[in-house]
Amino acid sequence: MLQGLSELGHAYLSFLNPLTLLYGLGGAFVGIVMGILPGLSATLAIALLTTLTIKLGTNDAILVLICSYVGALYGGSRTAILLNIPGTAANAASCADGYALAKQGQAGRAIGIATSGAFVSTLFGVICLAAFTPLLAEVALKFGAFEFFWLALFGVTMSGTIVGQDPLKGWLMGLLGLFVAQIGQEGLYAYNRFTFGWDELAGGIALIPALVGAFGLAEVLTTLSDPVERKMIELRDSVLPRFREVAQYWRTVLRSGVIGVTTGLLPGVGEDAGAWMSYAAAKAMSKEKEKFGKGSIDGLMAAETGDMSSIPGHIIPCLALGIPGSAPSAVLMAAMIIHGVQPGPMLMIQHPQFIYDVVAMTTLASITILLFGLFGVRPLLHILKVRRAILMPIVFLLCTIGAFATASRLFDVYAMIAIGIIAFFLRKRGYEMAPLVLGLVLGPLLDKSLRRGLVLSDGSLLPFFTRPIALAFALVTIFTVLLYVPPFKRGVNRVKDAIFGGVRAMLARRA
Amino acid sequence: MSEAPPPVAETAPHQVHGDERMPPRSDMADAIGWLALGIAILIASVSMDRLESQHINPYTVPGLLPGLLGIAMMLLGGVLGVRSWERGALSQPPMPVTADQREERRRILIVIALCAGYGVVLIGHGIPFWLASTIFVSGSIIVMQRISRDPQERQLTLRMLLKAGVIGVASSVITQLVFQEVFLVRMP
Repeated sequence: MLQGLSELGHAYLSFLNPLTLLYGLGGAFVGIVMGILPGLSATLAIALLTTLTIKLGTNDAILVLICSYVGALYGGSRTAILLNIPGTAANAASCADGYALAKQGQAGRAIGIATSGAFVSTLFGVICLAAFTPLLAEVALKFGAFEFFWLALFGVTMSGTIVGQDPLKGWLMGLLGLFVAQIGQEGLYAYNRFTFGWDELAGGIALIPALVGAFGLAEVLTTLSDPVERKMIELRDSVLPRFREVAQYWRTVLRSGVIGVTTGLLPGVGEDAGAWMSYAAAKAMSKEKEKFGKGSIDGLMAAETGDMSSIPGHIIPCLALGIPGSAPSAVLMAAMIIHGVQPGPMLMIQHPQFIYDVVAMTTLASITILLFGLFGVRPLLHILKVRRAILMPIVFLLCTIGAFATASRLFDVYAMIAIGIIAFFLRKRGYEMAPLVLGLVLGPLLDKSLRRGLVLSDGSLLPFFTRPIALAFALVTIFTVLLYVPPFKRGVNRVKDAIFGGVRAMLARRA
Repeated sequence: MSEAPPPVAETAPHQVHGDERMPPRSDMADAIGWLALGIAILIASVSMDRLESQHINPYTVPGLLPGLLGIAMMLLGGVLGVRSWERGALSQPPMPVTADQREERRRILIVIALCAGYGVVLIGHGIPFWLASTIFVSGSIIVMQRISRDPQERQLTLRMLLKAGVIGVASSVITQLVFQEVFLVRMP
């Protein structure tokens, strides 16, 4: 405990130098700009900055990436408020009340609330990050091949189920991601799978070009293919953070903070789940339900605190288990690996200081968004006035460099373009990208765990179901999939109704 | 302005009967695609070298997981197909294409051509990166403005051409300088 506090103190002190602070501000700036631009996501911001920061030291590079992650989600709410388009998917829940407030001439107030909510909730998430990551890492040390096999499947299944509106399409995307991850040399015998004699494919489809395509080019196509260009609402009132409202709605902030961190712990679920669940909970608990969707401060606060607190929540499983909580944290994890830090159960043993460094980086990120909230919102919003015909070609130019720079291979640019076009059409047909990303990240782990597990058990499938942690993950995964089978779902509903009916009857009798 | 999406309680975890917004015919076409991909993956996995010459443990053959993924893809693709069939994929006539959709398709093709032209043809084949990027950015700005719905924006004036040129040069040169000189990143 004391050692942890000392390492945390050391981490905070190590970031107190002007150059590091400048890196943090730079990362947050790029993140906020990307977040403000509709559709350009935190994932793309981190992917592009990964290439830009490849020559920096590990801590400086990861600091830039975390600041851009927090900045992108923060910036996205401005677009939700002023344009009624979520800047990133995570800001969708802020649209209803934020835009309603903007239409009432209170856009500045809505932005101020978003700033204060974002700052406080990120700090709340940081506390959870510092407290729970070492604990989870300790539990994760007990994980073996069987547990990791189910954890990887659990992640892809949960992501497919919760992200988007159609679990079936989510699972298919997860499978596609898992399959694409199998392309190239496999880990045990260096055998080339699905390369068809093409040397370029032996290295596999790299994560950064794939994500730049799926989130960058696909978004360029989405934005430019829309025949209608949207206009933003003018800002008239002050955009300064409103901490009085944070104090007034402290219950909402705390509840949404807990929900955000908890949803963040689920693999691949994404920040939007934290926002929507916080919003739904706030609506359910509110005395002014009718105001939700029509400019409710409570609703906006819930949505903003829910998504921002889920960021540290997503980083927890990423560091402790090596399982990313969302698409942006998947890229963050890839960046850590590029910089020589392997997230996962061994992180606490190999780089114990790094977890506390990440805590300090996330704290710094929340301070940078507060600084931008105080001084930089208005000028940054001018970017929304730039025509998409001008902005999007520049975005694609950055995507091209982003895809190329990690390995200096033209093949990665071609892969980015191909994946971007496929992702664009898949998105149009109702397929979400988050399960694909999780599949891409977890594919090698699933493959390795399955084959190692089978070797350890000499071909027996029993240990996959008899070890307690593996069994728990297996049951949740199988149950989630079976819920899609109508007779099973009807049966579950009957059991649920019987239990709740019984409890209700018992309570009524006592009353 | 578009309406905000409904809150989670009305959408996510409990809605397990699929995305009702996509036309069943589209889902049927997808299902056929997924089935075909699943079958192809399964065949490729089964026919993959089992490395018997290296005397490896038979439970670690390289095609094991891809084969299982292929089977799962076929199963889920099959479910998608059955679901779309139940929703009337084969009985409903195809939806007529609207003028907006036609315009959108035209724009998609143009953007793909511009991006692929830049990424595949212009860069990496001897043209300096800044020049290739200038051609792409300026060209894209001009083309996108020419296909705009706004008649004023569509007009090809000297000012508009100059503006596109300046933006193209500035963005390309600044990007190259920042990435290459400041952050030491190699350019294509």
